[in-house]
Amino acid sequence: MPNRRLTRRDFLKFSAAAGGSALLAACGGGAATCDPITSADTIALDTLTECATAEGQLTTIALPHDWANYGEIIETFKTRYSLTINELDPNAGSAEELEAIRANRDNPGPQAPDVIDIGIGRTVTAMEDGLVAAYKVATWDSIPMKDPDGYWWAEYYGALVFECNMDIVETLPVDWEDLLRPEYRGMVAMAGDVLQSNEAVQTVLGAGLSRTSGAFEGAAQAGLEFWAEMNAAGNFVPVIADVGKIAQGETPLTVEWDYLALANRDTLAGNPEIGIVVPQTGVITGPYAGGISAFAPHPYAARLWWEFVMSDEGQLLYLKGYAHPIRFNDMAARGVIPEELAAALPPAEAYANAIFLTVPQLQEANTYITENWRRVVFGE
Amino acid sequence: MRGDLPQIAGTADISRVARRLRRPSSRRASPWAWFWLALGMLYFFVPLVATLEFSMRAVRGRYTFVAFQHILSDPDFYRNFGFSLMWAVITMVISLLLVVPTAYWVHLRLRRLRPVVEFITLMPFVIPAVVLVFGYIRLYGSRPLVLTGSPVLLVAGYIVLSLPYMYRSVDAGLRAIDVRTLTEAAQSLGAGWPTILRQVIFPNLRVALLSGTFLTLAIVVGEFTFASLLVWPAFAPYMEDLGNKKAYEAAALALISFGLTWASIGIIQWLGRGAPGQTQVTGAH
Amino acid sequence: MTVDRLSVQGSVVDAAPSGKKGGAPRARPPRSRLIDWLAVGPFFLFALLFIFLPSLQIFIRSFQDREGHFTFDNIVTAATGVDFVNAYQASLSISLITAVGGAAFGFLLAYAVIMGGLPRALRTFMMTFSGVASNFAGVPLAFAFIATMGTAGLITRLFEAITGVNPQRDLGFSIYTIWGLSIVYMYFQFPLMVLVMAPALDGLRREWREACENLGGRTYHFWRYVALPILLPSLLGTTILLFGNAFGAYATAYAFSGSFINLVPIVIGAQIKGDVLYNPGLGNALALGMIVIMALCMTGYGLLQRRSARWLR
Repeated sequence: MPNRRLTRRDFLKFSAAAGGSALLAACGGGAATCDPITSADTIALDTLTECATAEGQLTTIALPHDWANYGEIIETFKTRYSLTINELDPNAGSAEELEAIRANRDNPGPQAPDVIDIGIGRTVTAMEDGLVAAYKVATWDSIPMKDPDGYWWAEYYGALVFECNMDIVETLPVDWEDLLRPEYRGMVAMAGDVLQSNEAVQTVLGAGLSRTSGAFEGAAQAGLEFWAEMNAAGNFVPVIADVGKIAQGETPLTVEWDYLALANRDTLAGNPEIGIVVPQTGVITGPYAGGISAFAPHPYAARLWWEFVMSDEGQLLYLKGYAHPIRFNDMAARGVIPEELAAALPPAEAYANAIFLTVPQLQEANTYITENWRRVVFGE
Repeated sequence: MRGDLPQIAGTADISRVARRLRRPSSRRASPWAWFWLALGMLYFFVPLVATLEFSMRAVRGRYTFVAFQHILSDPDFYRNFGFSLMWAVITMVISLLLVVPTAYWVHLRLRRLRPVVEFITLMPFVIPAVVLVFGYIRLYGSRPLVLTGSPVLLVAGYIVLSLPYMYRSVDAGLRAIDVRTLTEAAQSLGAGWPTILRQVIFPNLRVALLSGTFLTLAIVVGEFTFASLLVWPAFAPYMEDLGNKKAYEAAALALISFGLTWASIGIIQWLGRGAPGQTQVTGAH
Repeated sequence: MTVDRLSVQGSVVDAAPSGKKGGAPRARPPRSRLIDWLAVGPFFLFALLFIFLPSLQIFIRSFQDREGHFTFDNIVTAATGVDFVNAYQASLSISLITAVGGAAFGFLLAYAVIMGGLPRALRTFMMTFSGVASNFAGVPLAFAFIATMGTAGLITRLFEAITGVNPQRDLGFSIYTIWGLSIVYMYFQFPLMVLVMAPALDGLRREWREACENLGGRTYHFWRYVALPILLPSLLGTTILLFGNAFGAYATAYAFSGSFINLVPIVIGAQIKGDVLYNPGLGNALALGMIVIMALCMTGYGLLQRRSARWLR
């Protein structure tokens, strides 16, 4: 670790020198020297590219290939910059991601994640525990949801929708209250576990927001009451839904993120037919936040990754995976969104009332819901 | 009729009993035995059939095995299964090398250590795997001892998980053979300890070892936590991943995995046929 | 008897022309201790590195809060929090149900293939199948049972075809209860019982059966006065093993019903994994509680196994 603080000017000078020597090194085969990063300022793309190439690898975690098109994002990045990508546990939740950073603090090997993708609510823990490094990507200003100092930023979001197995569900529900109808008895499930999944907690909150007409105050309690009624009516199937259970018929009406529901529809390819409905009220969004590990073994590669993902191109790849990129409005205003991609999503009017909660609100709701879930819904 | 007589009445009865003593150990099949077996088989196979039925619905309107074809033509499947199989064998070997000498020694000479050793071998039941693996990453993932890059932690984890079964089997096997006599005999013929272990103990324990090894195989192939958190391309994380993506293929994979594990165990069992029995003192073959 | 054998062994070795340090235990030369260490050393070293030290971590972290300071809060919450007490109760009941049920039917299965006079091939089949089935757990097992007895399961559909009634949709019946999960757990409990009891049943000497018959005893007498008393420690021990096995089962319970059925391993998992809760100190404290219970089980099992070993040599 250097003793003196690198100023931005030092850095620019250095990267110029590095660029020059890299040119020579490219002929001679030596590596460019890239100093450890200490500021959050944007780094020029060519510097990033060179230093990342020198590092040679990037370690990601919790990026399933069929979640918001991460498969294609990773492939594109890998081929374009000729880096090896170590993909850790795609099914990790935010807690495991943070634990992985913590546990691999001194480990420069491929088990230590460089970049993370966590639920917005978890960002507070990440920052408090000093697990993330600050960095502002080139497109920083057009990101509507972020930490002002650059420790995290939202990447994409989706809204909760009702995903229906049309072989079993005869009429599509229109709104949350419809789920209580007797025709859906033994059909409705969440796509996660309330104690472990952000998605499930948001499912409770979404129902609550529908009942409070969008007001955050009291939404958590209202949501719990909704699900208590669902359970009492026998409509709620207490199992974690997934594409297999939807197809098999155990959970024919699942509340899930729109990008996952649409991806499932593609996977099942009509066997069975899947109907997707955005609820009329209580359209709750769930942004996910990106960050860089404070102990990343490949800091330049990490930053290069984010430059790619938060660029127009990267954001459009999210859209291809049916997720709304966080910079959607900015990109739409500049007209860079292709027609076909936008058309594949549910119509924009459905998202007109989308509710974006703040981090403190999410945290408060998280705590309230997890603490009271068993008591209110199961009465124990 | 058997056993009905309150006392032995005469020569006819004695000869009947004598005949029975000469008969091999199988006895007349009891109808209850068939009943329990049938009930058991029903319980075990219906869920498998249900999974099969679902996996065959991959194409709308008819039953087909195309989901199985997809799995069997996926190179990842072979890669991951091969990986797990290979590490299962390595785990088995190291586990045997660790457990057999220890069990033997404790059995023979260090009797007082037996409770300690048994306690150790039961600890893996007691500690949740997910907690254990994070423990490994913390302890051995940072300087001075960075083991997280190598498969050491994975194998260690597998050995720990299969330890109770391996030790139990070896212990049961040692109890069944007369270890002392065998050892004394070998020693009186001039054998040193390595020779005794290699040429006397191991062969006599073959049947018991087989039992331990096939449980180890089943455990390693199905093990998820260590492989996933230590980031190795093992079979169980592959299965989990597929389960999240594809409905019908996942069901097919569960059945294929069941079948393959069973086949592997069957092979090991077959290889171990004709080994000296557990019940009698035989000495070295 | 053991002491006699030792001295016999000693004298045999002394008389042997062997130059090797077979080591006469009576004389106990220092070098025999070296070979003792060589034989068991690797095992203990392995246990230290890969079992004890990581477990110590659990113990230590139970007493730490999020910042790493010492606290009793985790232990107190784990022991007294309503959710957790309920979780322990639920875990204890499902473990008890599946231990007793698993032991009973597993014993019957083991009896059937070992002593029931069935063809030898069936015994091999049962043993190998048990090896696989005892490890069939987690997502595939949960899905198999959902596909069997769930709302759209095979049995349910058959039932519906016959009676016109769907138990879940029409009668509000749900499999996601302790009893439903118990049925799932049996899939690995039965085989485990078979695997452990088979050698014990095998050890019941033919001679004892025939001695009993010679004395005029019937099957009932054999079991009541000979077999069951001998097997009892083993039976009890294995029941305890099954109890522990069920108590610690996580993957299957989570795959089947998430945290909707409140069990201890699920609650532990929620504290150290996932997106929502995060209190590793509490998770570890709960794990510690679980370890205490399991350790008691295992001690019981060990003691009982040793008693039964006396007869089943």
